[in-house]
Amino acid sequence: MYKLIVFLIIALFGLSSCIEIIDDLTIRNDGSGTFKYTINLSSSKIKVNSILALDSIDGKKVPRIDEIKQKIDQFVKTLDSQNGISNVKLEENFSEYIFKFQCDFANVSALQTALKQTILIVSKEKSLPQLDYNWLTWDGNKLVRSIPEITERKISEINLNDIELLKKGTYTSITRFEREVDKFENTFAQLSKSKMAVMIKTDVYRLKENQNVLENTIYLSTGKN
Amino acid sequence: MKPKSLFICALIIKLSAFNAQTSEFLIPSDAVTVFSINNISLLQKISVEELITYEFMEEVHQELFDGSTTGKTLKDLGLDFDQKLNVIYGKGLRNEISGFSFGVKSTKQLFDVFDDFQLVHKDYHGAQVYGSFFNNLIIKDKAALLIRVEPTMEFIDQMTDSIWYSRGNESPFGNFPENAAEDGAVMDEKVYDENTELSEFPQASEDPNVKNYYELRDSVQLLIQRKEIDILLHELFEKKQNLITSDSRFATQIQHNSEGVFYLDNSRNLEKAKGLWYFQTILPTLYQDIKELYTGNVILGDMYLKENSVEFVLNACYGEKLGSIYQEMNDSRFDKNVLKYIPASSTGYFTYNVDLRKAYEKAFEVIMPILMDEKNAQIAMNVLTLELLNEYINKDALFGTYKGSMFGFFNGVKKIKTKKIEFFYNEETFEYGERQAEADEDMPIFALGLSIDRTDIPEKIMKHLSRLTSKIKNMGDYWRMDNAILDAAPVFLINKNGLLILTNDEDLAVNHFDGYGKEKLAGINAKKAKKSGFMYGSIDISETLNRFPTDLLSPEQNEMIQALKGKSGKLELTSGETTSTHTTFDLKYVYEGQESSAKHLLDLINTIYVVSK
Repeated sequence: MYKLIVFLIIALFGLSSCIEIIDDLTIRNDGSGTFKYTINLSSSKIKVNSILALDSIDGKKVPRIDEIKQKIDQFVKTLDSQNGISNVKLEENFSEYIFKFQCDFANVSALQTALKQTILIVSKEKSLPQLDYNWLTWDGNKLVRSIPEITERKISEINLNDIELLKKGTYTSITRFEREVDKFENTFAQLSKSKMAVMIKTDVYRLKENQNVLENTIYLSTGKN
Repeated sequence: MKPKSLFICALIIKLSAFNAQTSEFLIPSDAVTVFSINNISLLQKISVEELITYEFMEEVHQELFDGSTTGKTLKDLGLDFDQKLNVIYGKGLRNEISGFSFGVKSTKQLFDVFDDFQLVHKDYHGAQVYGSFFNNLIIKDKAALLIRVEPTMEFIDQMTDSIWYSRGNESPFGNFPENAAEDGAVMDEKVYDENTELSEFPQASEDPNVKNYYELRDSVQLLIQRKEIDILLHELFEKKQNLITSDSRFATQIQHNSEGVFYLDNSRNLEKAKGLWYFQTILPTLYQDIKELYTGNVILGDMYLKENSVEFVLNACYGEKLGSIYQEMNDSRFDKNVLKYIPASSTGYFTYNVDLRKAYEKAFEVIMPILMDEKNAQIAMNVLTLELLNEYINKDALFGTYKGSMFGFFNGVKKIKTKKIEFFYNEETFEYGERQAEADEDMPIFALGLSIDRTDIPEKIMKHLSRLTSKIKNMGDYWRMDNAILDAAPVFLINKNGLLILTNDEDLAVNHFDGYGKEKLAGINAKKAKKSGFMYGSIDISETLNRFPTDLLSPEQNEMIQALKGKSGKLELTSGETTSTHTTFDLKYVYEGQESSAKHLLDLINTIYVVSK
């Protein structure tokens, strides 16, 4: 009976669930920093639970929770072993489906290399052309950033038929500094009252349509705080 | 039918088999499923491009997909629209066949399209046989059979292994890494490919005249395929044996003058059922008995095209032993209480009306002697267990709790309140925190109900469970189970009026625990459900099926739903009488809109093809 109930729900479910992603990058004056990445699926609990109750979806196997945990664990351990990366932490909340990841990095180049290496190892791919470009450049006074490649890749795979779902999903990109921001190029970006953080918020649909929407070049004031 | 009529019928069939070669006489006796369209003139305007999008064209469509059909309709293929078009499929232990037989008006036009075929036999007992890479085209008089015969992999492997080992070879799989993950689970194809280097596959042998295992298997496959085609030609044209001459039920059915005729021999499907291999190999006599029980299990159908509706009349035939169980099971009175709980606004509902107690008693009577005859220790122990359970179990309590009759309905999608975590931002620093908020999630509203005599038993269960968890609460007229659905939404249990209803519809539990009153299903729709045999179902396609997210379904189910998606109208299934030899069903599809009957016809053929394959 339970399986029948689950099937009915899944089968008749309106695709109204949504996802919230926050990517939060802190750059210190010496170029080191902290990268935080949060995925919040709590408003789609029913849908996530119903999918996890299935054996397969669209011909692909649905992983069990322990398999997901194992994969996440592997990601964390692999990333932790990369050069220039430390304090890798992961907070998993499988009842609300909120996942919070964070790590410290020695410099943005180390962060990018480590993420690329880790994705390659975990995905068991020999190469991923999507990983060829850099999403962060930092010269001490200017940061050029877009969004991590993995996000871009996954978002581009979402079916455009689910426009309503995509419009409900949000992607928030926050960049923090140890000194004040002088100016930035993305007109959708907001500056915090402290002037030390820049935030861009968009929906997943806009992001899929235009992946440059989160691109920003941020110039910092030259005088150190 | 009297013996005299049967004789005349058989004589007519026999005579016509020898005198005229129309398309239906080219249906091989290996066909397990046949869909025969009588009035194919309505298909004249269907473009070939459109036709080849259907799954029933999958096996043969590459012949039509090489550019020679661009812009052409079926009429341009030189088809004789006065003859039947028969879609054929069959899978046996040795081979799988698929294809069509049809009338031919112009062979020249036909070969303008089938331009890849080479002549194989100029005159094979009056037939011309052509072959292409996978398919064969056989023309006899004014009828043609386009067919693909593929040996089954099991049969190919069996033959290859036999030759391979008889030549003194060792296992060909010795060179391979284990096709298993570390935990012992079998890897799927993608994972296997990722984990297997190409260099690990066997190299061609040093002596070019000696074949490795896979080369041998390819040769075996080719030879078996040729042999199977030869057998098919021999049966059709030398022995003059086809489905009409080998199965009188099909012979009678094909003469019906409905727009379409359907035939599915389920008893032959039993032979290929993989789940029965244990019986076939370890308990052959029991398998024979099961097969015998299944003998005569054939579904015959007629399809009628009417203005804005397609009607499908099905006759599920079975042997008398199995029929006696069905007859007892379906001999049950309709539970009128059910109608009180189906709202008139429901877009999809069903009623299922059976007597499990009577079915159980009959099944016990029919199946136990078969099992008792089996001289096998395991079966003997199982028989003893069944005998003891039959003696000790309180059947009044069991079948009083679950009588067998049930109903269900879908009542649209409603918003339900759930909790979510949202992030809020500090404007000063853009630091963020979490807070709980209310969320609205769409939830399909449904109810499933069982007829019950022993209402005290579920009450006992719920009472004890409610002592174990605070999530189960007695609300007086119903029980509430919090977070019962996917850890997020409540479920309600109503135990009233001889029905046990499980629903996620709070409105039903709180406001309609005694039924929907004036809002209940009434009038002609209620009458139809009441008058139907053991089952009745009604679905508003646009409101129900169109909501199905097909990515959650298997490709076969997907194909079935796709055939009906995007359409409007109503699908209605009614069952008729159940006798000891058959049960009738009536599936009616009433549609709206401008699509042609031909399109609906093809959609339905495709749906049935996918289901029966």
